[in-house]
Amino acid sequence: MIEVSETIAHHILDHDFGVMVGTLHLPLTVHTVTMFCISVVLLGVGMLMARRGKSVFSRLMSTIGEEYVGFMRDGIVVPGMGQEGRPFLSYFCTLFLFILFSNLAGLIPEVKTITSNIAVTGALALCSGVLIVYCGIKFHGVVGFIKTFVPGGTPWWLVPLIFPLEVISLIIRVCVLAIRLFANMLSGHMVLLSLLLIIFIIGQMSKIAGTGAAIPAMGLEIFMTCLELLVAFLQAYVFTLLTSIYAGLVIHSH
Amino acid sequence: MDQLLNPNFGVFALTVVNFLLLVWLLHKFAWKGIIGALERREKQIADDKAAAATAREEAQQIKAELDAKLQNIAAEAAKKMQEAVTLGNAQKEQLLAQTQQQAERLLAQAKEQIEAEKNQALKEVREQIVNTSLLAAEKITRQQVTQQTAQNTVDEVLRELNTHK
Repeated sequence: MIEVSETIAHHILDHDFGVMVGTLHLPLTVHTVTMFCISVVLLGVGMLMARRGKSVFSRLMSTIGEEYVGFMRDGIVVPGMGQEGRPFLSYFCTLFLFILFSNLAGLIPEVKTITSNIAVTGALALCSGVLIVYCGIKFHGVVGFIKTFVPGGTPWWLVPLIFPLEVISLIIRVCVLAIRLFANMLSGHMVLLSLLLIIFIIGQMSKIAGTGAAIPAMGLEIFMTCLELLVAFLQAYVFTLLTSIYAGLVIHSH
Repeated sequence: MDQLLNPNFGVFALTVVNFLLLVWLLHKFAWKGIIGALERREKQIADDKAAAATAREEAQQIKAELDAKLQNIAAEAAKKMQEAVTLGNAQKEQLLAQTQQQAERLLAQAKEQIEAEKNQALKEVREQIVNTSLLAAEKITRQQVTQQTAQNTVDEVLRELNTHK
């Protein structure tokens, strides 16, 4: 009998290679190795886009690069943060592509979705959180940034209540970034695996029924894969957009 | 499955380092160049647009000036035409009057000349008659005048007169 949870866990959970350097345990896992590969691919793609060649491919890549950067600037960074967000454009360009490639990598057979690891999404959310705080301090100063946690016109006796609430609100926003991405990518892949497992579970009971179940299950599988493709783009967009909006809220808060 | 919600802090730290390193590397080797190229192109487009707008304004200004000049030229041409027509009419009237006067003068001269010539001719005829009469009288006087010879002489005079006509 197939153990469903174990099978799903095997395909989704990270696996540590257990590499030790002396007494130091290196966090070399399937997800981190995948992340390195994605980073190398991204670096290569980025350099290809920045290269100014005369061949059709070079021109195509540079056009894609300029369109992408233009979209990030005019579609995400400037609407969210205003003109103050321009210096952080590189961060957002990298963030979107990193999340997108990480999400899409999960659709390649034998490659795991690193964004279904809460540590990875948490790290990305932490980077975004640090950026948000940095923006607040850069544009308001330390004291000014702290003051932005108390909305204007708040009665003095409410400040001790409002201030921690606003701080927690910011922390929650950042945490929600991580959880949203993690949950969406994890659930999508769990659904894909569950649909495949249906065929084998029914097949164990009756081979004919299993063969019959394969047809609707594969149909649903294809549908869900298309949906996952959409979700991969959507979640990368949402994460990046929300980061810019949160940073913009901090920059433009009075 | 509990592992799902228990983050591996090693992976967490490595992701942070990896991601920030990637941001820096991509900024240095990719985005900086692309953003620069994009901004240069946008600046060029904006400059071209501004130049086009300026050129358009200049063209409109020149067009307005030309239109104004054209209107002035048209008005001036109409004025000149009117003047030319007026002048032409005046000259025509003058020429007609002159021609009329000249024709009348020529007619009068011709009449006078005809009259003079007529008078001259009459005068000559008269003189001729007188001369012939004198000649006839002389011849009559010189000859022994008979009735017959006188008649012959008169006939001769009349023949000569007819001959001189």
